[in-house]
Amino acid sequence: MTTSETADGTGVVPSRELGRLEQLPIRRIVLTILTIGLVVIVGGGILKTLTLSGAEHLGWAFWANLVVIGLALGAVYALIALGYTLVYGILRMINFAHGEVFMTGAFVSFFFAQAYAASGFLNRSPWLSIAILLVVSMAVSTGVALLLERICYRPLRNAPRLVPLITAIGASLFLQNTFQGFFGAEPRGYPRPDVLSGTISIGPVSFDKMDPVVFATALIGMFVLNRFVQRTKTGRAMRAVSEDREIASLMGIDVDRTVVVTFVLGGLLAGIAAVLYAMTFGQVSATMGFLPGIAAFTAAVLGGIGSIPGAALGGLVLGVSESVGPYLLLSGVHVPSPFELRAVITFSILVLVLIFRPGGILGTGEAEKV
Amino acid sequence: MQQRTLAAMIGLVVTAMVGVACSSGSSSAPGGGGAADCNTPPGCVTVDAGAPIEIGTLLATTGATKNLGLDSLYGVELAVDYLDGTFDGTDGQLDGHPIKLVNETDGCSADGGQKGEQPLGSDPQMVGVIGTSCSSASLGVADKFFSDKGITIISPSATNPALTSEGTHQPYWFRTAHNDRIQAAVASDFAYQKQGWKTAVTIHDESPYTQGLTDGFKANFEAQGGQVLSEEAVNSGDTDFKALLTKIAQNPPDVIYAPDFNPVCALLVKQMADTSGLENTTYMGADGCSDPTFLSIGGPAANGSFLSGPDLTSFTGGDFYKNDFLPAYKQLAGSNPISVFHAHAFDAMNIMMNAIKQVAVVNSDGSLTIQRSALRDAVQNTNGYQGVIGTLTCTPLGDCATSVTIGVYEVPNVGFKDPNAKPVFTETKTLADVQ
Amino acid sequence: MNRAAFVRAVKGGLLGGVGVIYFALVGMIERLDTLSIVGSVELSWLLILGPPFIAAYVLARPRVEAGEMRSASASRALWSGGIVGLVSWGLVAIGVGLVQWIGIDTVRSVFRSVSPTLIQILTLHHPVWPGILYLAPIVVLGALAGGALPLLPRRVRRPIITASGVVLLLGLLQQLVPPALDQLHIQRNWLYSNVTLGLSWIGAIVAFAVTFAITWFLQDRSLRDLVAGGPGARDRPGAEARVRTVLLVGWLALGAVLLAMPYLVGPVVARDLGFVGIYLLLGLGLNIVVGYAGLLDLGYVAFFSVGAYTTAVLTGGQLNTYKGLAAPILGAHLNFFLAIPIVVLVAALIGVAIGAPVLRLRGDYLAIVTLGFGEIARVIFGSTWAKNLFGGSAGMTHITDAAIGGYSFRTELHFYYLALGFCALAAFVSWRLQGSRIGRAWNAMREDEQVAEAMGISTIRYKLLAFAMGGAVGSLGGALFAVSIGSLTIASFTIFVSITALAIIILGGMGSIPGVVVGALILIGLPGVLTPLQDYQLLIYGAVLIVIMILRPQGLVPNVRRSRELHEEEVQQDAWMRPVEEGEVPVARGIEA
Repeated sequence: MTTSETADGTGVVPSRELGRLEQLPIRRIVLTILTIGLVVIVGGGILKTLTLSGAEHLGWAFWANLVVIGLALGAVYALIALGYTLVYGILRMINFAHGEVFMTGAFVSFFFAQAYAASGFLNRSPWLSIAILLVVSMAVSTGVALLLERICYRPLRNAPRLVPLITAIGASLFLQNTFQGFFGAEPRGYPRPDVLSGTISIGPVSFDKMDPVVFATALIGMFVLNRFVQRTKTGRAMRAVSEDREIASLMGIDVDRTVVVTFVLGGLLAGIAAVLYAMTFGQVSATMGFLPGIAAFTAAVLGGIGSIPGAALGGLVLGVSESVGPYLLLSGVHVPSPFELRAVITFSILVLVLIFRPGGILGTGEAEKV
Repeated sequence: MQQRTLAAMIGLVVTAMVGVACSSGSSSAPGGGGAADCNTPPGCVTVDAGAPIEIGTLLATTGATKNLGLDSLYGVELAVDYLDGTFDGTDGQLDGHPIKLVNETDGCSADGGQKGEQPLGSDPQMVGVIGTSCSSASLGVADKFFSDKGITIISPSATNPALTSEGTHQPYWFRTAHNDRIQAAVASDFAYQKQGWKTAVTIHDESPYTQGLTDGFKANFEAQGGQVLSEEAVNSGDTDFKALLTKIAQNPPDVIYAPDFNPVCALLVKQMADTSGLENTTYMGADGCSDPTFLSIGGPAANGSFLSGPDLTSFTGGDFYKNDFLPAYKQLAGSNPISVFHAHAFDAMNIMMNAIKQVAVVNSDGSLTIQRSALRDAVQNTNGYQGVIGTLTCTPLGDCATSVTIGVYEVPNVGFKDPNAKPVFTETKTLADVQ
Repeated sequence: MNRAAFVRAVKGGLLGGVGVIYFALVGMIERLDTLSIVGSVELSWLLILGPPFIAAYVLARPRVEAGEMRSASASRALWSGGIVGLVSWGLVAIGVGLVQWIGIDTVRSVFRSVSPTLIQILTLHHPVWPGILYLAPIVVLGALAGGALPLLPRRVRRPIITASGVVLLLGLLQQLVPPALDQLHIQRNWLYSNVTLGLSWIGAIVAFAVTFAITWFLQDRSLRDLVAGGPGARDRPGAEARVRTVLLVGWLALGAVLLAMPYLVGPVVARDLGFVGIYLLLGLGLNIVVGYAGLLDLGYVAFFSVGAYTTAVLTGGQLNTYKGLAAPILGAHLNFFLAIPIVVLVAALIGVAIGAPVLRLRGDYLAIVTLGFGEIARVIFGSTWAKNLFGGSAGMTHITDAAIGGYSFRTELHFYYLALGFCALAAFVSWRLQGSRIGRAWNAMREDEQVAEAMGISTIRYKLLAFAMGGAVGSLGGALFAVSIGSLTIASFTIFVSITALAIIILGGMGSIPGVVVGALILIGLPGVLTPLQDYQLLIYGAVLIVIMILRPQGLVPNVRRSRELHEEEVQQDAWMRPVEEGEVPVARGIEA
């Protein structure tokens, strides 16, 4: 039995001897092995892919196209991720039902879009009809977000973290199935005005006409939101509440109102994302929010949850890694059909980022213990 | 008609023999064709005098695929109506007993099939079942379940080849639906011979149905000299296929064969139009894509693509189908046919009812005894039956539609939009002709 | 009544009306109209009268006003009830009127569930006018009943609620109880009607009266007292031993009933119970991870699929290929029971592999990463890459039945026993874990991780242990699933399995074994016997999660410790408001003892 001295040097305190096994810096060893393994696997895969020759060779145009596709998809994820990150920053809570907030806006705007397409209004005045669709979608999404906040989240504000999380999952299920019951389970075709249909080609790289629209919207959304949070009084209140709710309320900030504003902002962004997504992919369904919701949440965590630029960055990184990743890593080693393994690549990236940088890419780099 | 007279004669002989056997005091006639042997498993069903004969349906009548199931159910109901010889809205009777339909949903999935089969299989009065709509509800689920219980089941639309393959086929399972090996072969003939396409890429989603078709297409296409450049797979919930299509565009094939379900089909054809490099590639799908969603989501990009499926215009019961069956369907359902397997269901139900009539022993008190294994044998021995869809001869491995006509339609001239649409290519094949 | 109360009543009525309209639009009223509960009263009436009833009930309950708890006066409660009923009905009437005015086909093109049948139900199968008027007194009466209920003294109210609940339950279980009674050769035509398939009026009245009497009698008495031999007998010497004997007899009786169950209820229900058993195993396993160790795992289906596919590969499962059956490139033909230890070991290892990267992650991150693992498992099992091992999309089939000697567990009756055995094993293991050193370490870790670390508990070790043990139990569920159908496709391994398992333990009570059993019975067993509800299964799961988390986060059969954890603040805050029980000395509530 080893002993150690007390602080004032007067006594001896027996301390438990650490066994050999526990003395090893396990964490560091595992991390080193992991890093080496990663470098070998990822590096090897990429190398093999880039050295494919002959008919199998994948030129720079191919990769450029994939990156463009990834950025377009990533922009949609970014818009939805902004909503997640806002709510998390304020309430330290993942709003699992945010994907459904997104879906409801898209679905209700569908009925308007369908009517406009049938009457030709969509093509006669495309910008006006898009504006109306955006307003409808934003209104519905915000309404649903507010209902969620009021009914499901406000009563649970002081509950242990598990409780609102599970409530959010329940709300997500409930909304999905409510819309299925109301409007039917099958997907519906969402029309797009002719002015936004078709592709643009710049050399061998081509992209959908919607893509730059979505990308620009995501960037603008991020900048506007960031400015709002940094410069305005409400934004300051939001930052204060996110740092410490109790002290903020002591300082005279109306916490309830701030939370409501947060949800409204998230809802507005989701509503915009909804119309853009629906037009890009041409379809809406009651379950359309589920997978993008998870992807967007992953993006927010990847970029550093609670950080607005982080959400945008995470979205773009996720989109690009989903498009490029499977082909970059797996083509060289001749894995059949890399496309269906996208989810594996995405979540592996997430896990790895969280191991090496627990706060996300733009996070602080330390694991938050609280 | 000959078939029915023959069956009636057999029935009379059997009744006579049973009558003799009963009156001489023995409980079961010694071997040979004749009286019902209820002692060997799976035993018999006895239907009391005046009581209904119970036949179950296990069709996809709920959920996203409900058009498929409801369409088949209407076919079954029309068969019961036609039992008295006319489509008059009143059901006919079989040997003096009404038919009672017990309907369950198969949910177009293994889980759904497992749930739906329970109430049917545990009902001791259940004579036979028409189902399942989807291959996934039958494969390893309903086929084994009902075979273990000795309940004969005939499917109108489950097309997966494994259901009637050596080693996987279950003894009590039959189908009037085509075997997808035939559909895949016709598709590949269309691609290689009619269109002159030499290279293809196949895309399947996660269901056994689509994988059966892509495997079959590859086997037949390559046997003719074509080349399948790659076999891809997607998840049924995916919406963005642009990365996959970009990869395919690196080495563009003449055709992309993606016999999946909607909305995957519709999204693929739409995104193909936006992918540079695929301008000379055509999309081809199968009956899984054949519903209005393909047009509404696919939009103008869907025009010029091809969809294969049962050739409704080739039904040999052509006049009967057009002049009697379709109007009766409209009367019952309130609309034109909502899917393409209603005639298959009609024929399946008729085969079932004919077999029951063949083997049912009418007892002196007016009750019926139906030996389960004899019913199965009678269905299997169906030979040259003139159904609406064609001549049906059942095989030991369960395929009754041995000679099948598949048509390939060019969008927008498709059968689910207009029942009179003519396919651009049609071929009749038997299982012996295909890989 | 004063203005504030009036406004409250109107608001309540609006909410009630919205509730009814919601049920109508989502299609539940029409769907549940096929199920009769008592006589010819269908389940849909529960949905039509439910929201106004609840609204009126909530309004009439005692509320805190001006700093003290005041109960509503009879006149106020009844007036509120009436107004709630009237307003709810008004909203529904406006809805029906709108539908008639716009045209039912136009409305139906948007809201799929608005059908002529629905309108018929709401107008009591009369023409719309004056049918809709006939609805008014019924809704008002329903709301009045809700308003009147809190007025009754507690001694009367409790038995009424319990008795009504029992009648409702008996009506809902109409596919379960009559066949069971038939098997036991008990006359039941007086209880269940052969025409409507629901309870008959006589049966309902008898059930109500009997339950009422029992609840009334048991009200002021503690069961323990009764068993020990009379009021106050609890503290007499020798009572402890007597109570213990009765408990033992009770457990033995329960065991006997469980063993005899298939013969009591018939093969259909036995099959349903077997299925409940599979989910019960999943619930017990997730209970270890979430309930004991407090790690939110949203990808539990990974263990389910690992268990199923490993069992398939080890017991001779064949791959479904285009050309027929093929053997997987790695496989064995072991007996099921020999394969189980290997399956469990593999699952435990995978549990450690999943747990290792997520050790430092907080609840929310943990949730999304585990969700990812669930998806990864599904994608890998179905991938083209692993097609030669797991069959790809077509899956595997011909999994050898579980059998000992020649006794096969495939049929419904036998499968029930297999499931029962595994569940008993898992429950036993969970129970022992709960009370062991490991369980205590998990408790500490769950309540405050940093303090636990400071006390010397290696959270790394115990977290990994939680994942390993939880995974092992979950894989047992997967193994059972594989041999119950004999075939596997990845369509069975979606995220909804994880969510269902989570819903089970939330509803039943996290960390409580009887709770998991109750949760599984309600969420899996009930839809099995109530076919019209199957279409709305996920909707109900979502609603259940929300309601339970808001109203009763400790679940239906709570674990006492968790209950306290979740309600600590509330318990302290609201202590002053609770009525003082007879015999209790009011104590200044400061720090909870």
